[in-house]
Amino acid sequence: MAEATERTTNKLVSLAEAAASVPDGAVLALGGFVVARCAAAFARELVRQRRRGLTVTQAIVGFDTDILAAGGAIARLVYGGGSLDHFGLVIAINRAIEQGRIIPEAYSTLTVSLRYLAGALGVPFMPTYSLLGTDVLARLEQVAPENVRRSTCPFTGEPLLLLRALQPDVAVVHVQQADVEGNARIYGPFWDNDEATKAARRVIVLAEEIVSTDYLRQQPELTLIPGFRVDMVVHVPYGAHPTSLYRYYDYDADHLREYVAAAKDPAALERYLDRYVYSVDDHFGYLERVGGVARLSRLRADPLRGY
Amino acid sequence: MASTLTYTTAELMVVAGARALADGQVVVVGLGIPLVAAGLAQRTHAPRLRMLNEIGVVDFWPIELGVGNSDPRMWYHGASFRGHIDVMGMTLQRGLVDVGFLGALEVDVYGNINSTEVPLPGGGFRRFGGSGGACDIASLARETIIIVRHERHKLVERVHHITSPGYLDGPGARERAGLRGRGPSRVITDKAVFDFDPVTCRIRLQSIHPGVTPEELRASTGFPLEIPPDVPTTPPPTAEELEVIHRIDPGGRFTRQ
Repeated sequence: MAEATERTTNKLVSLAEAAASVPDGAVLALGGFVVARCAAAFARELVRQRRRGLTVTQAIVGFDTDILAAGGAIARLVYGGGSLDHFGLVIAINRAIEQGRIIPEAYSTLTVSLRYLAGALGVPFMPTYSLLGTDVLARLEQVAPENVRRSTCPFTGEPLLLLRALQPDVAVVHVQQADVEGNARIYGPFWDNDEATKAARRVIVLAEEIVSTDYLRQQPELTLIPGFRVDMVVHVPYGAHPTSLYRYYDYDADHLREYVAAAKDPAALERYLDRYVYSVDDHFGYLERVGGVARLSRLRADPLRGY
Repeated sequence: MASTLTYTTAELMVVAGARALADGQVVVVGLGIPLVAAGLAQRTHAPRLRMLNEIGVVDFWPIELGVGNSDPRMWYHGASFRGHIDVMGMTLQRGLVDVGFLGALEVDVYGNINSTEVPLPGGGFRRFGGSGGACDIASLARETIIIVRHERHKLVERVHHITSPGYLDGPGARERAGLRGRGPSRVITDKAVFDFDPVTCRIRLQSIHPGVTPEELRASTGFPLEIPPDVPTTPPPTAEELEVIHRIDPGGRFTRQ
């Protein structure tokens, strides 16, 4: 046991350091899905650092990416669609697309995931039967002709679409548990996170809870991302707030409604960012600003239901 | 004998959806009328119906209705938690999904769906959610059922943007494009149920909901609509079906409006 611990590299860094390692213009795979397990604290930190010109890739966008769009950090979006579920649309993203500030490279859930899968497998492309005959494909042929190619199966001759491998510069995912080396467990469904983290050139793990290496190695089948693939680990309690973290806390419905109401009006959205991003020193300042322990403890998940 | 049952239009739509499902089928559903319809089928004639959530959840059994696919309430009691590749790739593209439910901003006479953007009268466009899993489902499920609010600007001759493929521009087009599934089988609105002519692939009226007049239906449909004089009335829910719906959606959030 002691020997195993000695082999562990400590990769813990601060949230500010981790965010600073993602330069302007980087291709960033974000790990959230709508209002679930979003890399929200990381997105807020990038906005606080006034990051610009990012290409964000994500099968389904949600709160983390909408906050980044609200802060003007995104130039291009490689995505399959998205919303804030019944709380509303991704208003900041959609407005930026309508105004030409974000170029949408719009696919579908499966086809973004397949681009990651090809990247993760180290092969140049992945074939699919999806998107054929649609305007989704016609648009992609205009906006990203280098990434899609109509073709045929070399064995049967049937029509296929080839999707080019996607290897983002960095993947950032919020997880329930990790050790200091980055061995990471995700509880609940993991949407695009398996392929996205394994396709990326660098991986930053945001951990709700830091646990010991020995604890994780008792059930290695639960570790989705092995530590040797991970470059940085950040301890970020309530880092998915106001989105949910399965088995840990529910989404903060009141805060999400406050966000959506603000997002509808650019001036109100700027005031929201002032209040919750620019005027707080760090993530812990944010947690105090949204109501601190009193508010957050009300979101704690029921251990049986997981929400 | 006059019926003493009272029901909402949403409940009628749920029942139309549920009756289109068969025992043992695998279906992709989202929150709202599709989830309640699949839940009703499971509790009546289709106990072995399996529901999939594109997020990576297989065969869930929600006891509370949440805010959407991302809500852990929609994962409750799942048989398996994986990711998009498992559900949308290894199950859907693999050819194992019988029915997918789809919503729409616009749907046209060939069952093509727009959920990406609509042009604004003064120029420019309004952006919406995009495909998500919808294009994958429309491309790859054996059959799709479209649920849409019946409005003149939503049921149109030709959608502005094909996000999810129906029969594209007519007979043989899906096959030529290389799409796998058969395409849409039904469109369920709050005024009527439609299917598609097997020869022309064009939408056609299957039944009108009780109380909806042919004039009202024509006025709220954005394409020329043939209404046969003998068109049937959509069969109303039974007392048992209503009781089950009220158990699934006790607050009536999706079914009592």
